[in-house]
Amino acid sequence: MMMIDRRLVQEIDWILLGLILLQSLVGVFFIFSSSHVLPGAYHVRQLAWIGVSLLVMLLVLVIDYKFFVSLSPYFYGLMVALLAATLVFAKLVAGTKSWITLGLMQLQPSELMKIVMILVFARLFADYKRSYLTTQVTLGALLVAGVPLLLIIAQPDLGTAMTFLAVIGGSFILAGLRRKAIVLFVLAALIVGVGGWTVALKDYQKKRVTTLINPAGDPRGSGYQVIQSKIAIGSGGFAGKGFLKGSQSQLRFLPARHTDFIFSVIGEETGFVGVFIVVLLYFALLARMFLSVNKARDRAGIYIIFTASLLLSFQFLVNILMIIGLFPVVGITLPFLSYGGSSLLASYVACGLVLNVKMRRFANV
Amino acid sequence: MPENRIYEDLTVVRRRANVVFWIFAALVLIVLGYYWKVQIVDHRKYAAMAEANRIRMRVLAAPRGLIRDRNGVILADNRASFKVSLVRENIKDQAASYLAISRLLGIDEPTLRARVDLHKDLQLFEPIVIVDGLDPEHIAPIESRRLEFPELVVESEPQRFYPQGALAAHVLGYLQEQTPEEIRTRPERKIRVGEMVGKTGVEREYDDLLRGQDGAAYEVVDSLGRVQGENARVYPVQGHDVTLALDLKLQAEAERALEGREGVVVVLNAEDGGVLALASSPTYDPNRFITRFTPEEWTGLMTDPLSPLENRAIRGLYAPGSIFKLVMSLGGLGFGFVTPETTVYCSGSTQIYGAIRHCWFEPGHGSMDLANAIKNSCNIYFYTLGRRMGIQKIAEAAFRLGLGRKTGIDLVGEKEGLVPSEDWKMKALKTPWYPGETISVAIGQGQLQVTPLQIATMTARIAARGRQLRPHLLKDAVAGAGIAVGSAPAEPEPFTAATFEAIIAGMWKSVNDGGTGQGARVADFDVCGKTGSTQTMSRESAQKLARAGHETKTHSWFSGFAPRDHSRIVVTVLVEFGGGGGATAAPVAGRLFDMFRQETQGK
Repeated sequence: MMMIDRRLVQEIDWILLGLILLQSLVGVFFIFSSSHVLPGAYHVRQLAWIGVSLLVMLLVLVIDYKFFVSLSPYFYGLMVALLAATLVFAKLVAGTKSWITLGLMQLQPSELMKIVMILVFARLFADYKRSYLTTQVTLGALLVAGVPLLLIIAQPDLGTAMTFLAVIGGSFILAGLRRKAIVLFVLAALIVGVGGWTVALKDYQKKRVTTLINPAGDPRGSGYQVIQSKIAIGSGGFAGKGFLKGSQSQLRFLPARHTDFIFSVIGEETGFVGVFIVVLLYFALLARMFLSVNKARDRAGIYIIFTASLLLSFQFLVNILMIIGLFPVVGITLPFLSYGGSSLLASYVACGLVLNVKMRRFANV
Repeated sequence: MPENRIYEDLTVVRRRANVVFWIFAALVLIVLGYYWKVQIVDHRKYAAMAEANRIRMRVLAAPRGLIRDRNGVILADNRASFKVSLVRENIKDQAASYLAISRLLGIDEPTLRARVDLHKDLQLFEPIVIVDGLDPEHIAPIESRRLEFPELVVESEPQRFYPQGALAAHVLGYLQEQTPEEIRTRPERKIRVGEMVGKTGVEREYDDLLRGQDGAAYEVVDSLGRVQGENARVYPVQGHDVTLALDLKLQAEAERALEGREGVVVVLNAEDGGVLALASSPTYDPNRFITRFTPEEWTGLMTDPLSPLENRAIRGLYAPGSIFKLVMSLGGLGFGFVTPETTVYCSGSTQIYGAIRHCWFEPGHGSMDLANAIKNSCNIYFYTLGRRMGIQKIAEAAFRLGLGRKTGIDLVGEKEGLVPSEDWKMKALKTPWYPGETISVAIGQGQLQVTPLQIATMTARIAARGRQLRPHLLKDAVAGAGIAVGSAPAEPEPFTAATFEAIIAGMWKSVNDGGTGQGARVADFDVCGKTGSTQTMSRESAQKLARAGHETKTHSWFSGFAPRDHSRIVVTVLVEFGGGGGATAAPVAGRLFDMFRQETQGK
């Protein structure tokens, strides 16, 4: 039961796996391009993380997803405890408390929390057979999501907290939203938005939003990043300036260029052609993930595939909007491409879950 | 799992998922369209921005706040100076450039390379300071050759300047450049690369207050790094000023009195604990180190066996000697081992625990009550008292008077000292306490270690009849800085005012009635005090001094206050190897009492 069956191996979506690896390797190239002047050999480290993530993904494949789903409340409890502990004990890194040190590796529990949320919501809705969402279920789901969400907001890591919306929203959409409910959600969002702006948002976060409207208002802070990023992308033109030849002196103006802003490097050095190819690759990858819902055997499987795909799509979209100045700078990484172990691992595990559901569509229970 | 799950109708859910996917697909298409607009349609615009114009931010360093004494005299000021930085991005041929720069600026090439190496993690366009503290006349030859050196940037910056020279150097402290490592470990302090921050003293303690807010000039730079114009400018905001309780005249007098010797003078305001003077000798001129580079003099100071950089007032550990008899007296009276009338007969020596112990006055003092024992600093009296009290009670009295713990002064690096006890010895040395050691402690010897500031603080407490004061340097900061100064948290007072009065009677006699402290006597000022001479010192410092060729004489102490009632000033003097406390330290204190009396007369 636990050991992987030969039939199951044949059912693995090798094309999807190939696309994931291809995208990751593209990432390694541009991590090298953007960080080779820095000490630390980030591209080598990223390769190591890809290896680790593949291994973990393999482990995810071995075990039937239903087992994960049934265990999800325990994962949930564990992760909430870990998030709370991070908040209290973790060293302050770059002003947020989102890192926890495990030996040599640093992990962001909030990244793993996303995966747990996928499983928890799959369990929550696995037996939900009505065609529309009831108030009771909505409130219950919001409560379940709210606890970790608040802990992550308190870190404060607004970017990661935002990606939760993809999981929550995705699940609600699948469960069915009436028009009345949509209006209510929009209203609630407005109230939380306005309230949050005046009460909870820190000055630097407000600045990021105002910068979106007027980037020149803060040319050194977040506005600076966006201006430089846009100049980089725009100056890339049709065919780009060539690998390792990004003008703007190799984008040395750009902070976080091997993490959140890696797509600007691609835009500058490979131009619209490169942007198009990478977006196409993404589209193929995400389409293949999304459309796997048609292959899922049960409701839990559909929820897993859909929320996992939506999570990655959301991060992808927000990131490419953010770096070209259409979305506030919120610190969301580009899945598979940005440097960073936790984010890579989370993306791989999310894909692993999709593959897991897909390969077990015919399997006997 | 129930079998029917496989056949359940999932079409609705699947349809919804598919709809969301196609919405996502449409969004991707729109975003791609926007990338097309930026990269293809507006390409020229952005290419031009990337090619020709680049916006650089140049930091406009904020001047640090001024430090003043209580009368407004400036102790730490700023003056304009110039620095030269290297922008690696604009270097064409590295070897040639380093050679030419080292010739132009008169620095040797390895030093230059080491300096650049230290900052190799910085972005290539960020300037690395390679020379600082230059005057305008130094700058002229560099400015005239600007075109040959596009990689050099000359900027003016406010530089710290101590107009009083070495005066109060240990109080003020000095500045040092933070290493890139230090900056990285504390990102919340937002220290800029190359910024000078407080390393010791008030500069360190109130660094956050004194540091201003850097401004910035946003300049448009061409591809050679030449400034084409300015886009915007944010002006720097100077740091907050800090006013110290220090009185410059007293400070100068204290330092004069110590000139040529090693020692400490602490003068406290007896009413609020403000530090009026705090001198540690030998000293140094902080003006010589206001640079990012390590001059030879600096290394000299670091390795000097007399450690002039150390603030002896808070970091020097000494045996208190006979000063400790004040603690013995307070403990003996307060815990009820003696009354002011109890007498002990001093014949010049006595036998305690099988050993002969001598009084410092060989003929013997005769019959001594408490006040006379303090006045004459009679060892025999305190040997006897020490035997009665035992080490635990002695330690308790010492601890209650603030020995063995920090005074809480607003200076970093204060030491705690040591009050030995049975538990301490068992823990630290793994041997039981011997009664004979109690006898040494009773006259302030043995393992006892105190800082001069602790003694001054204790004296202030005696002067205030038990009210606890926390010594502090800050008089006040500018409004809104949110720093509180005040007395220490109140603790239950173990000793009554009457107890203190009895001790003060002895201290008064010591100075005004032919006692050991008469050197500190000032007409019409009712000085009360106690002398001390310590026979031992810590082994390390003895060795250190032996290397420096000093012979090991006794340290000389005096600590006192005036006037007797409604005391206003506390003076503590320690002169290393000064000989008897009455002969060396008391007259120094006398000078300061006298000066204070004259200065405040009529006020």
